[in-house]
Amino acid sequence: MNLDINLIIRFTEILITIGVVMGGLLAVVPLLTYMERRVLGLIQDRLGPNRVGPFGLLQPLADGIKLFLKEIIIPSAANKIIFLAAPVIVVITALAAFAVIPFGRDYKLHLELFGFTIDRTIHFYITDINIGILYIFALGSIGTYGIILGGWASNSKYALLGAMRSAAQMISYELSLGLSTVGVLLIAGSLSMVDIVNAQAKHWFIVYQLPAFILFIISGFAETNRTPFDLPEAESELVAGFHTEYSGMGFAFFMMAEYINMIMISSLATILFFGGWQPLFEWKSSIDIINIVQPIIWFCAKVFFFLFLYMWVRATLPRLRYDQLMKLGWKALIPLSIINIAITAIVKFIIENNIRII
Amino acid sequence: MIKFLKTILFIDIIKGLLLTLKHFFMLRGVRGETTIEYPYKRRFLFQKIPQQKPLPEGYRGLLCLRRKDDGSERCVGCALCEAYCPSKCITVVSAEKENEPLQRYARFYQIDITRCVFCGYCVDACPVEALAMTKRFELSQYEKNTIAMTKEKLLEVGDIEYPCLPVRQTGGKE
Repeated sequence: MNLDINLIIRFTEILITIGVVMGGLLAVVPLLTYMERRVLGLIQDRLGPNRVGPFGLLQPLADGIKLFLKEIIIPSAANKIIFLAAPVIVVITALAAFAVIPFGRDYKLHLELFGFTIDRTIHFYITDINIGILYIFALGSIGTYGIILGGWASNSKYALLGAMRSAAQMISYELSLGLSTVGVLLIAGSLSMVDIVNAQAKHWFIVYQLPAFILFIISGFAETNRTPFDLPEAESELVAGFHTEYSGMGFAFFMMAEYINMIMISSLATILFFGGWQPLFEWKSSIDIINIVQPIIWFCAKVFFFLFLYMWVRATLPRLRYDQLMKLGWKALIPLSIINIAITAIVKFIIENNIRII
Repeated sequence: MIKFLKTILFIDIIKGLLLTLKHFFMLRGVRGETTIEYPYKRRFLFQKIPQQKPLPEGYRGLLCLRRKDDGSERCVGCALCEAYCPSKCITVVSAEKENEPLQRYARFYQIDITRCVFCGYCVDACPVEALAMTKRFELSQYEKNTIAMTKEKLLEVGDIEYPCLPVRQTGGKE
């Protein structure tokens, strides 16, 4: 058997990256729940959770233990298999979408260890597929199945209503979400996330694509079922929407998926419009670690800003009515994003072919 | 046209977002402590600590019975408080004083403080200003038989809170 040292290293590298990305995400999600409650509290002149641990930082841990120890109640009329599979589908698709997100600049590693020479580039992404953004949208659509199946399998009218709303909303807003990114893809000339980030070395695409960014953010809010568009789980109308009947870890999985999707849309907005890990300013250092960490910190800071925006908007805007939601999606966002594509395409054609319009 | 521009530029949404952001950055020093983390920080009147807000002026806490300036009880046992009490927690048994046939007093006076809603109607009803409200609010007891406020206990509270000063507390009847 031909064991190449580089093959083994490549294999372990992939496993480590997957572990770091998944572990990081699952560690950030509880912190996000804490942050959301704290930010909402401060905005509403309350304090938010501050009892467990210093500043209440252990509150998510306490919540996690509570949810973990709770009984998973399955309604007697529910379809058991689908009922249990639905949260898993939602979480898996949410997590799997992170495979194509680049977190930092590639780093050329040169090491000599025990007589072996290790000479390779370390990538700060799990994989770079040439249809990265399509892959993310595809997985997002599969995640919708989890919500619909969960709502349907609960055999409860609130859950079913929430699931139906979610289906209609996801389908409407997935269109404008996808179409609003096409302008960026036209400029970058690629669907690969890594290429899109590399194309923004000089100017972030927000400079060229401000309307598309606004469309993207609005559609992204709708796509993650967050507050101005949280009709699938509207607690004042539908109890809790599609996860009414869930308890214990099933509920925890739905919540986790919601927060992971939030991080996903924030990362997408960062990568497509705010240059991904491209730093605004950078401190060049002779120490490699600093050079590696800086882009990652920039990426995290940008994602964090969008996550804060989610919470900020949740504390500010009231929920849309159902017909307003559909009206906004079909009559405003989709036509505007198509107009944006047309204008971007025409301008790009003019610039690339040096056509003079006088 | 202005409405169209407002919609396009998200003016109203941005206004709302700025308002919430203002509240996010309004730290506790600016707006004063809205939330008082109770067991650690508390409002007190009789234990004045700076930085701590006192209880409001008309705070209705535990009831008490007052004495006249000469040290005798004010209560004449008319049972108007009992009649007025919406939660029926006051029990009065009145009797004549042994030596003075026209003077009456409450032989038995008890407030079931577990049922009291602290509305203060009894204080308003009292014709001789014998009942008054204090600002005591931590009334928990470990045993059931110590929680009912008997006449002795009410007088004891009144001696501490109203040391023979004829001042109306709730007012409003005049």
